[in-house]
Amino acid sequence: MIVEISHFLSLLATGLFFLAGYFSLFVSSTSYTSNLISRTYSQAFLLLASSFLIYVWLAVTDNFSVEYIANHSNSALPIFYKVSSIWSAHEGSMFLWIVFLSIWGFIFNIAVNNNDILKPKTIGIVSFILVGFLLFLLLTSNPFATILPIAPINGADINPVLQDPALAIHPPTLYLGYVGFVIPFASSLAFLINGDSNIKWEKSIKKWSVMAWVFLTIGISLGSWWAYYELGWGGYWFWDPVENVALMPWLAATAFIHSLSVSIKSSHLRIWTILLSILVFSLSLFGAFIVRSGIIDSVHSFANDPQRGLYLLAFIGIIIVTSVLLFISRFSMIKPSSNIKTLSKESFISINNILFGTLIFAIMLGVTYPLFYEYLFDQKISVGAPFYNAIFIPIVILASLFLFLSVDSKWSRGITIDLFKKPIAFSAIFSIIFVITISFLFNTTDIFILLSIFAGSLIISRYFIEIFRYLFNKKYLNPYSAIAHLALGLLLVSISFNSLLSTERALNIKLNEYEEYEDMKVYFKDIKLIEGSNYDAVKASFNIEDEKGNNFNLNPEKRRYFTRGQITTETAIHITPIKDIYLTIGDQLDDGSWIVNIQINFLIRWIWFSAALMSFAGIMLIFSKKKSNI
Amino acid sequence: MNPIRKKRLYSILFVFLFSVSGISLILYSLNSNLDFFFTPTELKNNIIPPEKRIKIGGMVLEGSVERNGSKVSFVITDYENSIKVIFEGIVPDLFQEGSGVVALGYINNQIFYAKEVLAKHDENYMPPNIDIENDS
Repeated sequence: MIVEISHFLSLLATGLFFLAGYFSLFVSSTSYTSNLISRTYSQAFLLLASSFLIYVWLAVTDNFSVEYIANHSNSALPIFYKVSSIWSAHEGSMFLWIVFLSIWGFIFNIAVNNNDILKPKTIGIVSFILVGFLLFLLLTSNPFATILPIAPINGADINPVLQDPALAIHPPTLYLGYVGFVIPFASSLAFLINGDSNIKWEKSIKKWSVMAWVFLTIGISLGSWWAYYELGWGGYWFWDPVENVALMPWLAATAFIHSLSVSIKSSHLRIWTILLSILVFSLSLFGAFIVRSGIIDSVHSFANDPQRGLYLLAFIGIIIVTSVLLFISRFSMIKPSSNIKTLSKESFISINNILFGTLIFAIMLGVTYPLFYEYLFDQKISVGAPFYNAIFIPIVILASLFLFLSVDSKWSRGITIDLFKKPIAFSAIFSIIFVITISFLFNTTDIFILLSIFAGSLIISRYFIEIFRYLFNKKYLNPYSAIAHLALGLLLVSISFNSLLSTERALNIKLNEYEEYEDMKVYFKDIKLIEGSNYDAVKASFNIEDEKGNNFNLNPEKRRYFTRGQITTETAIHITPIKDIYLTIGDQLDDGSWIVNIQINFLIRWIWFSAALMSFAGIMLIFSKKKSNI
Repeated sequence: MNPIRKKRLYSILFVFLFSVSGISLILYSLNSNLDFFFTPTELKNNIIPPEKRIKIGGMVLEGSVERNGSKVSFVITDYENSIKVIFEGIVPDLFQEGSGVVALGYINNQIFYAKEVLAKHDENYMPPNIDIENDS
């Protein structure tokens, strides 16, 4: 009964969103209609939000007459996971996705004054997108379907690898990021429809864009962190198709935010900014399509259903084609009146746009090429890490060099780059010495690793000089840019050292014996069977003595969950600032020894710390009072 | 030709050459880094050089798993043809005899040396191109 109310509220919301969209795009605009649109949207949002809250309540109270809840939750779960079970599979997570989309629109609706000339159109576009996705939800993936007349006594349980705090918050954070770009997207379309090139719409969406970017950054890093400790493979990035479809909108969003700051200053790069706003949102939708259509095999993909894929593809196609046609028809309006100056800040940012565009193109090719290839030649192929490394490493190094040179650049006038000028020369000399030292210290001649460390070191030392000059010479410094770019430098250095130094080995150890690995003694103390609330497990106990004589225990487990019979690996990790010692346990051999996999992962914590630092720079900008630039 | 037009023509040519060379570099690197996927039967009908990284998929033949130190060897089969696989390391949680598996590595003298062994994190997973019901 209650589920029907929830269902009905969603249907009503769909109707009201349609009305809001209709009023804004097909009824001539007056102050009366602007108020009407704003109110209609708010009421539709309240209906949808109530519908979702009722649904959450149904999950919390174990209402297993709802098919989706019965299939993905269980009465034995803690409340936290009962709630997160809603987004553990397709229908519920799509519902959450749509609710988040409507929340962004709602906040925009109450934050922006009704007199704002672009507001009604922006809200209208958001409404139409909501209608499209709500129809998708209700027609092809109904989360409100019930099992009647007799509901099961208990639910089927959430997949155990998903019973984890990081994973419970990873999808919502990522979704908030994906759908957050609906605001810049809808605003730029509203700007194009309106057709008055004098409106400074870019300024008003800056903080919205940065906020969505922060959510996307945090969401991606949480996923990477979760995969590291939960899946037992080690590593922070696998170039899995679904990681790739999250990285593409992130790259596009990063380029978009840079480009946006140019357009705010001087209305230059408007073509880029508008195209990128369309690209970011399209790529977010493309990600939803890839994950939910089941056309790609990945650890993330949901159940395969061609009908869903077709609907999504058609809907995304309509959105992209409409926005691109609109863009072309208004092209003359956004054409720049003058060229940008060579070696000005604008010119560096356009180079950045081109480089990021290349990266996005390469990933897109890597993700879709196997699909086309199989269709054309009936041969399955896959594109792995070597391809992405071959493209990413040189381009990221190139982009970093341009960033390094751009630190001194000025808006709308060129600079002369003098390699012997103090800060540039100092950073360059420091970085060269640093890289040569690293090369000798670790006995490596891997040119790409050394170049990446060089690039990272250039950025870090250059910005340190800027911070120094800010503190002591009162020279102007954009703190958000400085922190975010320092984080980029740190990310480059951490990734390089991680791939240079990290090692891995499978050891065979008998109980009460030890093996040596990389100057460490791995002593196998104990192994026992333990019982958890919904699983049983083998828990091993190892004592590790490192090269300095420090002792610590690591207890990896192998669990079998009752409800699905699924086996999972629980890693044991010893964390130090420099390196992680990462242990997983495998099978027992005939001679009684166990296979134990040991990894030493250098600077891996710094990779996530860099991402956190970037997000922090974004959060600072959102809460800053001053009107600033990136 | 008028100098402004001439300048414009040059810049268009430059952008064109730049994009063409960029795209060809990306495509070249894509082509040299592809992993082809084979079932044991397809493997029999193709000759694969030992330096070419490929993926093979099928079922782990019942009774074929042998462990020797940290090395594990098993036979991947599609119940028509099969191939022996040698792998050093820990096989994934869901790896078991009679269930589906995908291995990435190199083939040499009819033996597949795997660098990675994957069993999907899904109990209902079937490797591609195999449509047999799992008996167990």
